[in-house]
Amino acid sequence: MLKYLLKRIIWMIPMLIGISLISFFIMHLAPGDITSNESAFNPKASEESRQKLRKMYDLDKPIIVQYGLWLKRIIKLDFGSSFASHQRPVLWEEKDKNGNIKPGLIQKALPITLLINLLTIFLIFSISIVLGTIAAVRKNKIPDRMITLFVFVGFAIPGFWLALLLMYSLGVSNQILPISGLHSIGYEQMSPITQFIDMLKHLILPVFISCLSGLAGISLYVRNGMIEILNQDFIKTARAKGLYEKKVIFVHTLKNALLPLITILGLSIPGLIGGSVIAESIFAIPGMGKLFYDAVLMRDFPVVMGILTIGSILTLLGNLIADLSYAWADPRIRRGLTK
Amino acid sequence: MRLILTSILFICLFGCNKSQIEDVNFDEEASQESGGTLTNAMIGEPNNLIAMIAGDGASSLIAGQIFNSLLKYDENLEFEGDLAESWEISEDYKTIKFNLKVQKKWSDNHPITCKDVLFTWKAVTHPDTRTPYGSDYQLVSSAQCINDYQFIAKYKEPYAPALETWASLHILPEHLLKNEDINNTYFSLNPVGSNYYSLDSWVTGQQLKLKGNPNAVHGKPLIDNKVSRIIPDLSSQFMELIAGNIDLMSINPIQYSRVFPNRPELNKKINLYKEMGNGYTYFGFNLKKRPFDDINVRKAISLAIDRQEIIDGVLLGLGEEITSPYKPGTYWENKNIKKLSFNPEKAKELLENSGYRLNNNIYEKDGIPLSFEILTNQNKQREMTAVLIQRRLQDIGIDASIRVIEWASFVNRFIKTGEFQAVVLGWSLSLDPDQYSIWHSSQQGPGQFNFIGYSNKTVDNLLEKGRQELNKEKRKAIYNDFSSILYDDQPIIYLYAGYGLSAIHKKIKGVKKLSPPAGIYHNDYEWFVPNKFRRNEMSL
Repeated sequence: MLKYLLKRIIWMIPMLIGISLISFFIMHLAPGDITSNESAFNPKASEESRQKLRKMYDLDKPIIVQYGLWLKRIIKLDFGSSFASHQRPVLWEEKDKNGNIKPGLIQKALPITLLINLLTIFLIFSISIVLGTIAAVRKNKIPDRMITLFVFVGFAIPGFWLALLLMYSLGVSNQILPISGLHSIGYEQMSPITQFIDMLKHLILPVFISCLSGLAGISLYVRNGMIEILNQDFIKTARAKGLYEKKVIFVHTLKNALLPLITILGLSIPGLIGGSVIAESIFAIPGMGKLFYDAVLMRDFPVVMGILTIGSILTLLGNLIADLSYAWADPRIRRGLTK
Repeated sequence: MRLILTSILFICLFGCNKSQIEDVNFDEEASQESGGTLTNAMIGEPNNLIAMIAGDGASSLIAGQIFNSLLKYDENLEFEGDLAESWEISEDYKTIKFNLKVQKKWSDNHPITCKDVLFTWKAVTHPDTRTPYGSDYQLVSSAQCINDYQFIAKYKEPYAPALETWASLHILPEHLLKNEDINNTYFSLNPVGSNYYSLDSWVTGQQLKLKGNPNAVHGKPLIDNKVSRIIPDLSSQFMELIAGNIDLMSINPIQYSRVFPNRPELNKKINLYKEMGNGYTYFGFNLKKRPFDDINVRKAISLAIDRQEIIDGVLLGLGEEITSPYKPGTYWENKNIKKLSFNPEKAKELLENSGYRLNNNIYEKDGIPLSFEILTNQNKQREMTAVLIQRRLQDIGIDASIRVIEWASFVNRFIKTGEFQAVVLGWSLSLDPDQYSIWHSSQQGPGQFNFIGYSNKTVDNLLEKGRQELNKEKRKAIYNDFSSILYDDQPIIYLYAGYGLSAIHKKIKGVKKLSPPAGIYHNDYEWFVPNKFRRNEMSL
């Protein structure tokens, strides 16, 4: 088992180098760099000063040299600073000589995105399991049809559209929920409890919108898994020996049907740090999606590469965790691994 | 996208019943009261509050409220002193002497002196400073302080836009920055300035709060606090506006002329303002390529395009035609130019004069059909403009196709390399008439701004003369000549200058109904929020 784990982890290193190489080159193949975007059509900004900037950022060097420089830094876990004029560190805050702290970009954006995504995934899985189970038990009857219709409508509705409608009806017409942002004005002066409620109120709409499109996939997974298992012989046996239907469904069927969900859960780990650009823009949430999107448009290479690197590490780790937990949950696979 | 969103908004607006009754009458007159908070929204977060380093609009918007320059524009766009009390220009136009206001202080109570000005000039011209704006100030051959309150800048050659450059350079405090690396200093996130406001707090990605600066050079503003929320999406901003959570925003023509007129309850609490915007949109040609090297072709295209149709279609009528690259209604606008009006017959005639003949409804010459590609970036208004142009050109027998490209690719793959035929793009309407970097024939290198390849000896001469002439009337004559030649040559076709549209909550008093040339926000230090209309900030 340990040998297997070591092998998997060592394999990650060449994979990571490969991923970073490809993303670095693709990023640099896109036309333009930060200097041409910040002031491309500002007649007051001269071409000489742009050349000067290019030199300062090493953008005038051959691409392979630039990759080498980047790799050298990243091995020391130094993600560098953004090319944008705020020059904030990509990953974590830095102190200058006077003790002033410059906050890191990912450090500020990640907790918000993580919070929203964890809430979303938790809700998607719990609602989907309930819906999928009901649909499977009532296969092809009205509840099943209604649930399928509902999750597909949720899947098909454009999120930004529904978001605007909800913002209008709940935020403008009836001022029940805040429209956008993470905190209200005056948040600093609130007591911890009101702060928590305020934050929660701001999260309701974004989390609801992110959940809606995810329900369809998972609930159908659960439904089909349940149906498949309900048709198997051991369920017939269970029923034949006179078990209560509740026990048949919740203990024997559901437990088996949930196994494939572990893989999906593992694979959603990298998704935890990726935010949705559209939802974040509409709800004015300063998360990872907007950070990455803006960095790509600005050709802010250190930020793009920083997020991609962290994303790929998490993807590989997610795969590993999915495999391991699968083995933990299913003895048949565990036996296969140790052989 | 915006259109779809707005139409959906419509459905929603009429679908939902508004039950609330608002009995506050915001039209009531009120006497000046200081205090209160103004909340607005920005689509992006400022990068760096040292404006010479930052390149983005949000930064200069915030930095402009914190820092002063030596000069500023008054409401009629004439220069007036900002940090300078007065200024003198020598007979030979080569020396400018600024007399600073005495006994003024930074917001940290340190006195403002000439040392700060000199320090700022040294910083902006230093080769290691990461600023794109250095070149204007490098023309100053020597700068010195005579005493604490007299600053002298000497130029090798007379430089007419000099005053404008001193009006756009924020003076920075030497005592806080002399030992700092200006490119990467904490000061850029926590500045100390001299203007109406100083930074109170900044929550990354969410909001930035300014508070009145008690040491402000021009005295304390009436509104105590300004909160700028960061809301990237304009539809969300609009929701916040009509819900009363933000007090002002710029709106688009659809909101201005379709949403507001249909919603009387919005007009009860929000005022709309219309003023000339700061830029114009044009249709430009690559003059180095066939067929655009032929002036008849350019004129024919110009005659074939119906500009009013574009203004009506794209801006819903909220824009103006221009004939010179200066803001309509300002001193530098050339009012004597006769507009080319829509005339497809004349256009065909011009093409035929140049030897073009119709073949299958498309003009051709020497067997080459008159067809080209119009390039533009992802900007809804420009895309719609290109479509209207395409149709009008098709009517007279010119075949145009449209290609829309992401900004960075657009600049680097097409504009810089000169691999384009025609573009729909925009320039800003500058306050100083100097247009050297856009029209002088020497400015055609990669990355420079005369990328369309315009070269005209007379125009070159005029531009050079205009840069050295500091007498206002003589300068006006030079730029009048320049803009008429430019209009005769039609190297680009001016399409429209759109209005800037703002929506401001009625509880903000002191906003001028008729906006001065310098714009509606010019007197925002005189704006105030009467106590009875202030929102309870804790309850929000």
